[in-house]
Amino acid sequence: MDIVTKALDALWQVALAGVLLGAGLPALFALGVRSLNTNRVVAVGGGDATSVPSAAGRAGAVLCFTVCALAVLFGIVVIVFGKQLFGG
Amino acid sequence: MENYLPVTEPLFILAIVVVTALAFDFTNGFHDTANAMATSIATGALRPKIAVALSAVLNLVGAFLSIEVALTVSNKVVAIQGENGAPVPELMGTPILTIVFAGLVGGILWNLATWLLGLPSSSSHALFGGLIGAAIASLGLGGVKWDGVASSVIIPAVAAPVVAGLVAAVGTKVIYALVAKVPEERRDRSFRWGQIGSASLVSLAHGTNDAQKTMGVITLALIAYGSWTNVEAIPFWVKAACALAIASGTYTGGWRVIRTLGKGLVEIHSPQGMAAEASSAAIILSSSHLGMALSTTHVATGSILGTGLGKKGAEVRWAVAGRMAVAWVITLPAAAVVGALCWALANALGGTLGVSVVFLILLVSAGAIFRHSRKTAVTANNVNHEWQGGLAPAADVAARQTVNA
Repeated sequence: MDIVTKALDALWQVALAGVLLGAGLPALFALGVRSLNTNRVVAVGGGDATSVPSAAGRAGAVLCFTVCALAVLFGIVVIVFGKQLFGG
Repeated sequence: MENYLPVTEPLFILAIVVVTALAFDFTNGFHDTANAMATSIATGALRPKIAVALSAVLNLVGAFLSIEVALTVSNKVVAIQGENGAPVPELMGTPILTIVFAGLVGGILWNLATWLLGLPSSSSHALFGGLIGAAIASLGLGGVKWDGVASSVIIPAVAAPVVAGLVAAVGTKVIYALVAKVPEERRDRSFRWGQIGSASLVSLAHGTNDAQKTMGVITLALIAYGSWTNVEAIPFWVKAACALAIASGTYTGGWRVIRTLGKGLVEIHSPQGMAAEASSAAIILSSSHLGMALSTTHVATGSILGTGLGKKGAEVRWAVAGRMAVAWVITLPAAAVVGALCWALANALGGTLGVSVVFLILLVSAGAIFRHSRKTAVTANNVNHEWQGGLAPAADVAARQTVNA
């Protein structure tokens, strides 16, 4: 029984980390993509194909993508130094 | 016949064990390329050859980054080592080398068989299965740590796909809600970058986690032989050899498994691909640090399935999922049977002869499986062909039928 309790205990933490990082970060990335594509500025005479992101949209996207990139760096730190940081 | 060998019997067996372990590491690599890269290949985020090359490099780097001493891997399921990871004194030398060798052969043959069928299956389970079978054959049921089997094999195997599927499904749902108004082409272009990033992380984590297992096995063999005594460190050449073996395996690309995961299970679009790989990366990394190492394969497959469930109207092929589930359940027992038979044969013939004969059987079987795979070859060129009810790409099936007619 002890094994099952221990496993469930680890499991809900994995699920929580999974939802926060594994679903949260792609959601943040999606927010960046959305920001990049909201209120796009259409050049005079051009169609939607030539539109460019608005300044605000671009800023929002950069912010989202930066946080995602930092999270990936964090992931690499966990891979390399994880055992020292969190114990085995 | 030992008299004719220029080396002693234990040294000869040690050499065979090292070669076999590296071969296992190689199959581990090509079997698992799909976990990281199947979705990126399926959506066209990366060209097939580029994808496997990237994954191979990251596996190589990952393998060198691993710092944990992995003698504990085999120690979780079989009772051939003491608490500090060193072999049990009475098994030192040939006995433990033979058990490890038979276990590796069981793992390799199962990996090759599932690859032939294009089924993703856990290389850790295959290795555990082989070792368990060999341990039962040589030491009896007491040779297995059944508690460890429950906590490191059975529970994680049930939990992994469920948790991964859930996370990927949630991620997919949220992504599609957020980008509902973005034109499809622009959306997919952006998400391809996200896919590449998340898939790279999975590759790196795979290199660290999986190459370690083989490093541990080889180090264990070296200790059993007596040429290495430090249970806290791994010889550099072992690390380098394992890193190269898993990376070259990855580069070979298990195209059959890639095809099943990328095209067979779910029709995948880039946002789903990113959701799946991000879920896999997050779960693999967090689980290995929370004391519940989940199989990369089980996590990746669960994630891909989840991303199919999370998108409205996406087709999930349950028949394919069912075949995978069956493969997972029988992975451990099947590898165990092979491991046990190999041990029995090696032991019956004894020493150098026994190990040589089993090694020969391994080579012949591997050759036969490879030849068989050429009949329905899946390569970088046809890996993305439309899924028409089976692993064999449609054009090839048609061509074969014409030939046979």
